[in-house]
Amino acid sequence: MRLFENINIDFMGKRTYFYFVSGFILLIGLLSILIKGLEFGIDFKGGSEVAIQFEKPVEISYIRNVVSKIGLGEVEVKTFGGSTGVLIRTPLQEIPTNVLPVVKSRVENIISSNFPNIEKQEIESTVNSLTYSFPNDSTAELVSDKLFAYGFTTTKTAEEVAKSGIVVKLGISDWIKENLSEKVKDNKFTVLKEDKVGPKVGQELKRDAVIAVILSLIVIMIYLAFRFKFAFALSAVIAIFHDVLITLGIFVILYGMIPGFNLEISITVVAAFLTLVGYSINDTVIVFDRVREQIKIHKTLPLEENMNLAINKTMSRTLITVFTTLLTIIVLLIFGGEVLRGFAFALFIGMITGTYSSVFVASAFVLEYANRTKSKVTF
Amino acid sequence: MKELRFRLILILVFVGLSLYLLYPTFQDYLNSKEVSKSLTKIEKEIKAKNPTITDNKLKDIVTSKRDSILSNHPDYRSAREKRVKLGLDLQGGMYLVMEVNTAKLLEKLAKDPDQLYLDILKEAEAESKISDENVVSILARKMKEKNIRMSRYFGSIREDDERIVQRLLEQETDAVTRAIEIIRNRVDQYGVSEPSIQKQGSRRIVVELPGIAREEEARRLLQGRALLEFKLVKDAAFAIPIMNRIDEVLASKLKDSTLANKETVAKKDTSKKNLTEEQFAKEHPFFAIARLIDPQGRIADAFVKESDRSKIFEFLQRDDVKKVIPDNVEFIFDAKPTLGPDGENFYRLYMVNKEPELTGGVITDARAEIDQTTGSPEVTMQMNAEGAREWSRITGANIDKRCAIVLDGVVYSAPTIINKIPTGSSRITGSANMDEAKLLEIVLKAGALPAPVDILEERTVGPSLGQDSISQGVNSALFGYLLVALFMIFYYKTAGSFADFALITTVLLILGILAGFKGTLTLPGIAGIVLTMGMAVDANVIIFERIREELKTGKTIKAAVDMGFKNSYSAIFDSNITTFFTGIILYQFGSGPIQGFALTLMIGIVTSLFSQLVLVRLIFDFMNLKGYKINVG
Repeated sequence: MRLFENINIDFMGKRTYFYFVSGFILLIGLLSILIKGLEFGIDFKGGSEVAIQFEKPVEISYIRNVVSKIGLGEVEVKTFGGSTGVLIRTPLQEIPTNVLPVVKSRVENIISSNFPNIEKQEIESTVNSLTYSFPNDSTAELVSDKLFAYGFTTTKTAEEVAKSGIVVKLGISDWIKENLSEKVKDNKFTVLKEDKVGPKVGQELKRDAVIAVILSLIVIMIYLAFRFKFAFALSAVIAIFHDVLITLGIFVILYGMIPGFNLEISITVVAAFLTLVGYSINDTVIVFDRVREQIKIHKTLPLEENMNLAINKTMSRTLITVFTTLLTIIVLLIFGGEVLRGFAFALFIGMITGTYSSVFVASAFVLEYANRTKSKVTF
Repeated sequence: MKELRFRLILILVFVGLSLYLLYPTFQDYLNSKEVSKSLTKIEKEIKAKNPTITDNKLKDIVTSKRDSILSNHPDYRSAREKRVKLGLDLQGGMYLVMEVNTAKLLEKLAKDPDQLYLDILKEAEAESKISDENVVSILARKMKEKNIRMSRYFGSIREDDERIVQRLLEQETDAVTRAIEIIRNRVDQYGVSEPSIQKQGSRRIVVELPGIAREEEARRLLQGRALLEFKLVKDAAFAIPIMNRIDEVLASKLKDSTLANKETVAKKDTSKKNLTEEQFAKEHPFFAIARLIDPQGRIADAFVKESDRSKIFEFLQRDDVKKVIPDNVEFIFDAKPTLGPDGENFYRLYMVNKEPELTGGVITDARAEIDQTTGSPEVTMQMNAEGAREWSRITGANIDKRCAIVLDGVVYSAPTIINKIPTGSSRITGSANMDEAKLLEIVLKAGALPAPVDILEERTVGPSLGQDSISQGVNSALFGYLLVALFMIFYYKTAGSFADFALITTVLLILGILAGFKGTLTLPGIAGIVLTMGMAVDANVIIFERIREELKTGKTIKAAVDMGFKNSYSAIFDSNITTFFTGIILYQFGSGPIQGFALTLMIGIVTSLFSQLVLVRLIFDFMNLKGYKINVG
């Protein structure tokens, strides 16, 4: 079977239409970035996040209601995976000091209501943990188990001061878990993952991501400068910017529009961007390669026609390769699970714009450059 | 045929090597299925026997059972060690980035800190949170601005600021080393398999703990203050009779349980009079795995194989065994194993007083150095006045006895007390080399100086999410392959099937290389493999398209194949090299999961080029040689 054989389309002649198409999408994307702003994930923003999976489907608004009342301020609640998964996120690192007494009294309440007349001694109370000691080992173990059942995380101390002591950890996630296990009694849950990223690390990751993207652009520029002349290298890099900006724009436009579709900028999404930078340049290079070959064969033909010929000849390969790659990306999008969704989506958009831009941005810009400068383009 | 032979051998070697490297992974998969099956059975049995058991207890028992199953099958362990390493996102576990809190350290290090100092320190700490500058240098700068000399709080009056700053920075580095040792010690004891503890930059520590079931416990392990204790080692006259009793108790229990197959035992008894190893293990279950170091029984230390350690723990946990051990003593292991003659690691088992004679808080300094006269390494240690007083009494009363230096429950050294030490200033000799002495220095300091660490980043993946991710990854790979393969056959007919065959080889080679070079497979890594399948056929698409073009000009299939391959190389390399570049950058930039993606992407490019260019070419050449018709669609 042969598709796209002997096609002869005047791609370059129609380039003005495609400038409008690209310009339009870019404009909308940039506007949404300006208005809505980039939605960063916890990797870059810092904060705490817990993903939990219930046994039965849950009403997300109910969970939101429960979590909003526990004193952690603005808490984001969304679905994670299917209808039984919930992702809870807050920009906080630890429980705010004004809520701490509430948490503490809750812990002591559990102990005193379950073990009346127990002798307990508070040893230490910090933002992160409470330490109590009990008269003997077995009581400590019982209390520890009880608190664990309520959603708190406990460990026994190993220090000499209190061989029969327990430490109750007071983290954001513990407080959330405790509240949920109390309010959603008939529906047990397990913790899928827990992330906590400090603001400093978030800043550093952001900086590293920017450095990585810039570095990859520089490397590609250097490579192209070796392979082709300036006009080509510049056009190729413009095409990359085009692809990255459009993908970013579509990310922002679609953010929050599709339920259960988590489109925020995380480390994996940045990885996808870097991959598409590398990939998008491939098609461009292959087209340029062919243009160079054509110019050698048909020395007298105008550049525009040589370019059309080259694009038409490589079209079959370009489309088939993109097709097989898109096949696997769609598979990742559908079967890859929640963790890979944003990643696969970024690649999906990026592959399409990458192919499109190799013709209508990179090649077109070389032509524009040649027309403007009226010079003969050499490689 | 001859011209094909070399390439054929090359391919067979690579494929064979990959299969060989992947075999342990397959074996491990079967093993873990087996283990989890027997564990669920054990769990059910325990629940049936004891319905009121708490989840915590049950978990503890199941974990210890799993440990003992794993340690009883050395081949289970070796398969696990050689399998493709799975990232934390696939097997569940915990990833932590910690940083030594220099501000807290400076607070502790200062002599007579006043309110002014604490205020400046607070300012410096706040500033360090938003800048890359070190707290020590910020503090020094701020002090200078306020015209305060560093020597007011640190060192002696004669030292200038620069020197003090230098020393404080050294203290900081020291604290990082100490924190790493404390963490490593605890992680080793907790029995995490394949932990990774690495220093990152000047004061960060990255800890990866795969498969932690109770992450909070791990966190506690990592953050709590280290406890250094000096405990007297019990002498043989006291310890060996107790060990004998433990042995007897265990032997009698063992006999009860083997009552059912008494007959076979009896038969064996008559056939062999001498105690075989098996027999010895039956009659002396304790001494069979905890072998006394000194056959004459002058000291009661015993050697235990690494694989038997969990068995010893299990023995010591038994109620009937607990009954024969006096309340005031306990068994503890040493921290680092020694390599035995048969290549297996041995741990020393000590019996010590439960109550420590002294705790590490009294130590003011420790230093590893070379003894000027003998030239052998030694560690000196100083104590504060209160500690020195106690130490003098302890050493005076226990001359010729051994005193174990115990950090967080394991022994780092057990030197013999030679004479009474009146001033607290002690010398510990007998370290085998400077490294060992250095380690002892770190341990002694760990008890005295804190190494406060903050957790900067913490990621925990529950085992169920990891399991889901694995199945999602595998499903994606299968579906991805199926779709691409079908399309290639549909579009390029026979030639397409060659490409599909090459694709399977590619995946096999990727996994083989991962296993061979101990690379880590993560979920984005699997995505990288899936993506590679889509992109890898690119090379073949370029070639097949070119072959079609050549065929159209009327060339024979053989000539067309030759020209097709030849004319495609430049385009193929071009289109792969940029992706490879970004792979390198990604690897540098990313952590854990992302690195896994970059890794499979890069390996995927190299292996796919190999199989698309060498393997597919070989098939083409073979078909041409044999005169088979090739349909390029």
